[in-house]
Amino acid sequence: MIMQTLEIQKVHKSFGSLKVLEDVSLTIEKGKFAAIVGPSGCGKSTLLRMVAGLERPDEGTVQADGKTIDHPSPRRMMIFQEHALYPWLTVGENVEMGLELAGISKEERRNRAQKVLKTVGLEGFYHYYPSQLSGGMRQRVSIARALVMDPDVLLLDEPYGALDAMTRLTMQNELLKIWEGSGKTMLLITHDIDEALYLADRIFVMSARPGKLVRTIDLDLPRPRNRHGQRIGELRQEIMQLLGLEE
Amino acid sequence: MQKMNSQTWKKVWPYAAAIGTLLLIWQITAFFSPPYLLPGVPAVLERLGAGITEPEFLTSLKESLFRLVVGYPSACLLGGLLGLLAGLSRGFAVYLRSLIAILQSIPPITWIPFLIILFGFGNVPIITVIIIASFFPMALSVMNATEGINRTHLEVAKVLGATKGQLLRKVYLPETLPSFITGAQVAFGNAWRSLIASEMVGGASSGLGFSIKFAGEVAQMTDVLMYIVIIGLIAAFFDHVILEWLKRRMLKWRYIGGAK
Repeated sequence: MIMQTLEIQKVHKSFGSLKVLEDVSLTIEKGKFAAIVGPSGCGKSTLLRMVAGLERPDEGTVQADGKTIDHPSPRRMMIFQEHALYPWLTVGENVEMGLELAGISKEERRNRAQKVLKTVGLEGFYHYYPSQLSGGMRQRVSIARALVMDPDVLLLDEPYGALDAMTRLTMQNELLKIWEGSGKTMLLITHDIDEALYLADRIFVMSARPGKLVRTIDLDLPRPRNRHGQRIGELRQEIMQLLGLEE
Repeated sequence: MQKMNSQTWKKVWPYAAAIGTLLLIWQITAFFSPPYLLPGVPAVLERLGAGITEPEFLTSLKESLFRLVVGYPSACLLGGLLGLLAGLSRGFAVYLRSLIAILQSIPPITWIPFLIILFGFGNVPIITVIIIASFFPMALSVMNATEGINRTHLEVAKVLGATKGQLLRKVYLPETLPSFITGAQVAFGNAWRSLIASEMVGGASSGLGFSIKFAGEVAQMTDVLMYIVIIGLIAAFFDHVILEWLKRRMLKWRYIGGAK
């Protein structure tokens, strides 16, 4: 299977008179876990939406494997902040949505959905409605909905922003398990510095208004990482200084 | 078991009380009036029991229901379609709103003389009035729902690879379905009122509206009251039994218990 290298070059974007992104360039290699951290208003979500194909840059290029991204593709799945499940569909039907759109047979859809639901720990919830699940479980369903498409790239837009702290930590570990050995390219948007440090191989730090890339940090720490390790502590301090959160 | 009964009773008593109050006022007034002017509840119920087997009544009922069953679903379909289109196109929304504003300022029944001259007596003028009266609650309700559709729901579908047609079928339709049903309920009230009114003002020489007018002209108070009760019962049955059942069936996900 061809995995995708994501390349963003000299991207500018404005909404009306509001400049959201200014001259942003970054590269994410195939199979790597990358994270973008920054305050709200730094345009990180806009950047992610461009990679998803939901938004176009005013200037510059956004490419996957050398091809310009100009529309959404099931090869690049996005996981939204608000789980965004369809309330009128059951868990199983939500997960199967993409397969159904692609015209895959009912039996195969069902098999694949059951398998993915097992991966995210929701075996037996196939016939439940989203309203019957907790916040963490809903987000697991939305991850399953993306995974079932077997995408090359997973784009995560603050997926755990709406969850409580404990659930968030559990979900981070689950995400690592899903990613490790899968060869998928991950791009995570977060304003949680610790989340980025715990998960990512490469962290892009952005500043706000207009959104600019201020630093790229490569981490080659083995996983599972110690959230309180020395190197993580130093990097946390560095990022906080960059964002003006600490002297 | 005892508990179940008391819970059912809790739900039912307001309805029972409302019906009871009306019947009570009627019966008390009847005590002080001569029976030819205002017959009591038992007399009318007795008449009702006999009346519903009479061929004149059955024909009347059949005629009215036929007009309803043709006009009302057509109005819902038309309204839903126009509403959906208006929700998708801003220009068409302005056009539709203006059209509805004009139509709403003309009581639907006003079209009867015009339509009778055009089409003659019979079903066509009445069904047309039903459609005019009941398509717009549907159109407005669906238009508002379509305009207010959840953007993320659309984007999820786009990312999952949905085509334009699939967006319409898999996101727009199910998401606007609750408004379809609310619209259909409001539309039903309009349809029923304009049906009976059209029959009364002379759209046709048959139907429940015609029958009650005829009973009034020959001063048959028992029959007049019987038709009032019947007209009310049919509307209540459609609204609270059929449409409510449809709503619970189609929006099953809304009536499932909260977070676990």
